[in-house]
Amino acid sequence: MLTNWRFLAGATIVTAVITVAIAAPLLAPYEPNKSSILLLQPPSAQHWLGTDELGRDILSRLIYGARTSLVIGVGAALVAVLIGAPIGLAAGYFRGRIDLMIVPVVDLFVALPALILALIITVMVGPSYKNLILVLGFVMWPAMARLVRGQALAVREATFIEAAVAAGGTSAWIIRRHIWPNIMGLVAAQFAIAVSLATITAASLSFLGLGIPPPTADWGGMVRSGFEFLALNPAMSLAPGAATAITVMGFYLGGSAVE
Amino acid sequence: MLSFIIRRLLLGIPTVLAITGLLFFCVTTLLGSPATMMLGENATPQAIADLNARHGFDRPAHVQYVDWLARALHGDLGRSFATQQPVAAMVFPAFPVTLELAFWSMLVAGTLAIVLNSVPTGRRAIVAAITGLNILGVTVPNFMLGISLIFLFAVSFGWLPSTGWAPWSEGAIAHMKHLILPVATLSAYYFGAFSMVFRAEQRDVYRKLYIQVARSKGLSEWKVAFKHVMPNAVLPVVTFIGLAMGQLTGGAVVTETVFSMPGVGRLFVASIATHDFPVMLAISMMVVVAVVLMNILADFVYTLINPQIRLE
Repeated sequence: MLTNWRFLAGATIVTAVITVAIAAPLLAPYEPNKSSILLLQPPSAQHWLGTDELGRDILSRLIYGARTSLVIGVGAALVAVLIGAPIGLAAGYFRGRIDLMIVPVVDLFVALPALILALIITVMVGPSYKNLILVLGFVMWPAMARLVRGQALAVREATFIEAAVAAGGTSAWIIRRHIWPNIMGLVAAQFAIAVSLATITAASLSFLGLGIPPPTADWGGMVRSGFEFLALNPAMSLAPGAATAITVMGFYLGGSAVE
Repeated sequence: MLSFIIRRLLLGIPTVLAITGLLFFCVTTLLGSPATMMLGENATPQAIADLNARHGFDRPAHVQYVDWLARALHGDLGRSFATQQPVAAMVFPAFPVTLELAFWSMLVAGTLAIVLNSVPTGRRAIVAAITGLNILGVTVPNFMLGISLIFLFAVSFGWLPSTGWAPWSEGAIAHMKHLILPVATLSAYYFGAFSMVFRAEQRDVYRKLYIQVARSKGLSEWKVAFKHVMPNAVLPVVTFIGLAMGQLTGGAVVTETVFSMPGVGRLFVASIATHDFPVMLAISMMVVVAVVLMNILADFVYTLINPQIRLE
C-alpha cells in the first residue's frame, strides 16, 4: 500500500491540508475576519492573494477555511458511516425482512440528487456547522449502507463463515470476529471517498449561499463572493476553488487507492 | 413485460406521494407560513391571520397537501409567492434550457468517456493521462471548473460569452456559443464517472472467452476494442445516463447558477433563497417523479439490451 502512488499522493495531500488547518494561527499572516480599509486589493507583498470586498486578507481566510472544510467534510462522512455501515451490515448479513425493508429505501435515496436534497433540508433547518454535518451525513448514509451491504453479502458466503456457524458461533460473534474485519478496509476507503463527496457538496452549498453563514472563512463562500470580482482579482475565487479541488482530490485518491 | 412496467409504475406512485408528502409537511411546518415574507417584517398579527385565512395556510398540513396535490394533478401548481406568477408559467420555459444542457452534457460526456477509454493502447503514459482526466473530472468541483473556464475563455481570451443565454431565436451560433462552457463544465464530472463505470465493466468483458476468440481470429486490437468490447461494456453507462438524466431534471443547480442560465436549477435556487414554497414544491415533485420514472426506465432498458437479465 505504501508503494501505491495513488495512496501516497492522496495521503500527502490530506496530511498537508490537516496540517494547514491545525497550524492555521501560526501560518496565517492576518486574522481571517479582520476587515480593513484596503478593499479589493490585488495580490501584493503585504497580501499575497490580495484582499476581499471587506478588506480581509484572502490568504489568511484561505488557510482558516481549511478548518471549516475539514470539520464539515470529516464530520458528515463520520455520520454517514456511523449510520450507514451498521444498517448495511445488518441488511447484508441477516437478509430476510430487514433486507427487504432497507433495500428499497436505500435505492431511492441513492437515486435522488444529493445536492438538491441537501439544499431542501438545509433551507428548512438553517445552515450551521451542526446542521450541515447532519444534513450531509443524512444524504450520504444510504450510499454507504448499500456498499457495506454488498460487502457483507459477499463475505458471508465464504466457507469460513459456514465453519463458524457450524462451530456454534452467535451472529454477534461472527459479525465482530469474521465479517467486520474483512470489510473494515473497504469501509475505511469509502469513508475517505465520503469525505471528498461531503466536501464538494458543502462547498457547493456555500457557493449557492446556503453554507456556513458569514463571517466564517469558508472556501465555497469565498468562491461565491469572489466570483463577482473575477476580472479584478481572479485569485479571490480561484484560490479557494483550487483549495477545495485539491482537498477533495486528496481524500478521493486515498480512498480509491485501496481498491 | 407490460405487467412489469405497470407494476413498477404502480409501486412508484406511493413512493412519489410519500416523498412529496414528507417534503410538503416539512416545508409547511419548518418554514411556517409565508405570510411574513409576503407582507413584510412589520405585518400586524391581524394581517397575518387574514392572509392565512384567505390562502388557507391555517388549515392542517395534510389538508393543504391533498389540496395542493389535487390541483397539481390538474396542472395548477399554484402561484409563486415572490412573483405572483403561476408557477407552471415560470417552470415550463425554464425546462427546455435545462433539458438542452443535460442532453448535450450527457452526449459529450458519454461519447468521450466511451471512446477515449476504449482506445487500446499499451502506452502507460496515455493510460495514466486518461485516468488522470477521469479523476480530475470527478473531484474538481463544478463551480471551480465553471469559474476557471469563464476566467480563461471569457475574461482572459474573450472568445466566449461568460454568462447568460441566447435562445434559438437569436441564431444558432450565438446559442451554441452560450452553451459551450456550461456543457464543458457539467460534462466533466459525468465524463469521469462514466469512465470509471465503463472501465470497470471493460475489465470484465476483456476477460471473456469471445474476446480471446476474436483475437485468435486475427482481429486487430482496435477492432476487438471497438467492435466487441465496447458494445458489451457500454451497458452500465447507458443505465447511468438514464439515472443521471433523472437527476438533472432538477437542473444542474451549480452549473446553471455559475453561468446564469435561465433553467430549472437556477429557478430552484432562487425559490429557496426567497422561501417561495410553491416553486420549491413544484420543482421538487418534478425531480422525484423524474427520478422514479427514469429508474424504472433504466431497469427496463437494461433488460432489453441484456436479455440474460430476467424481469421479475
